Amino acid sequence: MEGILAVWQRDVIKFFRNRAQLIGSFAMPFMFLILFGSGMSGAMSSMLGGGGESGALAEFDFVQFMFPGIIGMTVFNTAIFSALSVVQDKEFGYMREILVSPMSRVSVAIGKVLGGSTVAVFQGLMMLIFVPFIGVSITISMVLQLIPIMFLVAFALSSIGLLIATALKTAQGFQMVIQVLIFPMLFLSGALFPLNGLPTWMDILVKINPLTYSVDMFKKIILEPEKMDPALRQAMGLDIEVFNHVITFTDEIIAVSILSIVFVVLATIRFNKAEA
Amino acid sequence: MNAILEVKGLTKNYKDFQAVKGIDLEVEEGEIFGFLGPNGAGKSTTINMLSTIIKPSTGYAKVNGFDNVKEKNKVRASIGLIFQESTLDEKLTANENLMLHCKFYGIEKSIREERIVEVLEIVDLVDKRKNIVETFSGGMKRRLEIARGLLHYPRVLFLDEPTVGLDPQTRAHIWEYILKLKEKAGITIFLTTHYMDEAEICDRVAVMDHGKLIALNTPEALKAKVGGDIIEITAEDLPKAKEIIESSYNLEVQKKDDKLSFQVEKGSEFLVQLVREMDIAITSVNLRRPTLNDVFLHLTGREIREESVSKKDMMRKSMRGPH
Repeated sequence: MEGILAVWQRDVIKFFRNRAQLIGSFAMPFMFLILFGSGMSGAMSSMLGGGGESGALAEFDFVQFMFPGIIGMTVFNTAIFSALSVVQDKEFGYMREILVSPMSRVSVAIGKVLGGSTVAVFQGLMMLIFVPFIGVSITISMVLQLIPIMFLVAFALSSIGLLIATALKTAQGFQMVIQVLIFPMLFLSGALFPLNGLPTWMDILVKINPLTYSVDMFKKIILEPEKMDPALRQAMGLDIEVFNHVITFTDEIIAVSILSIVFVVLATIRFNKAEA
Repeated sequence: MNAILEVKGLTKNYKDFQAVKGIDLEVEEGEIFGFLGPNGAGKSTTINMLSTIIKPSTGYAKVNGFDNVKEKNKVRASIGLIFQESTLDEKLTANENLMLHCKFYGIEKSIREERIVEVLEIVDLVDKRKNIVETFSGGMKRRLEIARGLLHYPRVLFLDEPTVGLDPQTRAHIWEYILKLKEKAGITIFLTTHYMDEAEICDRVAVMDHGKLIALNTPEALKAKVGGDIIEITAEDLPKAKEIIESSYNLEVQKKDDKLSFQVEKGSEFLVQLVREMDIAITSVNLRRPTLNDVFLHLTGREIREESVSKKDMMRKSMRGPH
């Protein structure tokens, strides 16, 4: 138990000490939200509200739509990249200090995943800095709902990251693999554009992508679709259907939890076998 | 005296070669035990097996009475390890590095503070406690690693090339600390080195070559085996000089670079005789007591440093790249 805490603590200390990374982490979300989002916003609303026949669709604000997706993106990236520290520890030798100690490998793996998840939650919360600039209203109760969901999602992605990290020897290789993996998943998750009117092949990929449901949970908390006009909800792609069943928040929690458990177990088994 | 470290028939096979070819040894409690050999002799592989990092192919090792494979975690709690490469977290402070170690090894909360001060005092780093390790010099990092290796009061401290890459002055300091340790804590120290002078400090030395132990004794006994004194001469016609010395004094002469070297019982007397009787002009003479390097030369016909130096040179060349 103490070991898990120590491994966790090290990652958290290092996160807050790394100022460059803290500031740099705003770059991508800033570009997507302010540069890309604001640019697209005008085009989107003229396309949707252009006919003028529906008042509800005129309310479509692309930047607001993107915001939950950007929080999601930040959490995914931070969580999956947190396992980079495992590869770096191998490269710089610290992993040996950890692995020759009498604490169990399982503790190390769990500590690492928890550390990555914690850091990702902080990073995700930091994105709330953008709130005043984009006109979304975020309440305290939303934040309190967001934190555990962010943690759950981050836990799943940190586990995937750790699983990949155990197989790789260099930081460069790890970064390559993660980029190739995370970008398509992100594009196919509905984080950056509404999921409607997709071609069938893409629709299938979107629905087997776990990030889709993760992003959707953030959307459900922040955008409050139950208060929306059904037409607007439809335009934003907020009613995900699988086999004619509309996916609920609870379904999503269960799905991501199962994913988390599967990957943390796989990652721990792999890590347990690794030689120092 | 009890054996704190017991090794029987230890081997390590890799796909296409055998790195360690069967080692037997016992190390007594409180000893400084040296593992001497050129690079690639299998020293690091052996130390990695003894410290549970890699699994032996056959044979067994016991540390502090615990089996290295079956009771891994008990062995790990009984040993301290200092690797060739640094394993500190350089982004953290000295104190944070030590504190994490306490937690990894389950040292009780109430005694952590006291332990940290104690080990930092041994290596003279108390005033650097709050500094980030990145700002430390190479020697300071080594000292901090030694301190960290001692935190959990290990029974055996493994040091793999503890002073490699350090300047002579720092090396001497590190040794002071190691000797201080032995006196203060009565700890058993197991180290590998390819520095001869370091091996001489050990209570006993095992000489390793090509994965096998080729000698194991006190440095004095090993040197006594070489017998007598070492004489090195240079002369105008070396091949001929070699022939003459070999035939007329019945000695085994080794030619290295531009000098001849051989061993005799009474060096100073022999030298006078040689200079008087030799037809070929001798240009220089040198008489000295044997070192462990001579022991290695005697056992293998090679000098220990030859290979390591040429390897380093090759690395340097390849690192510089073409110009």
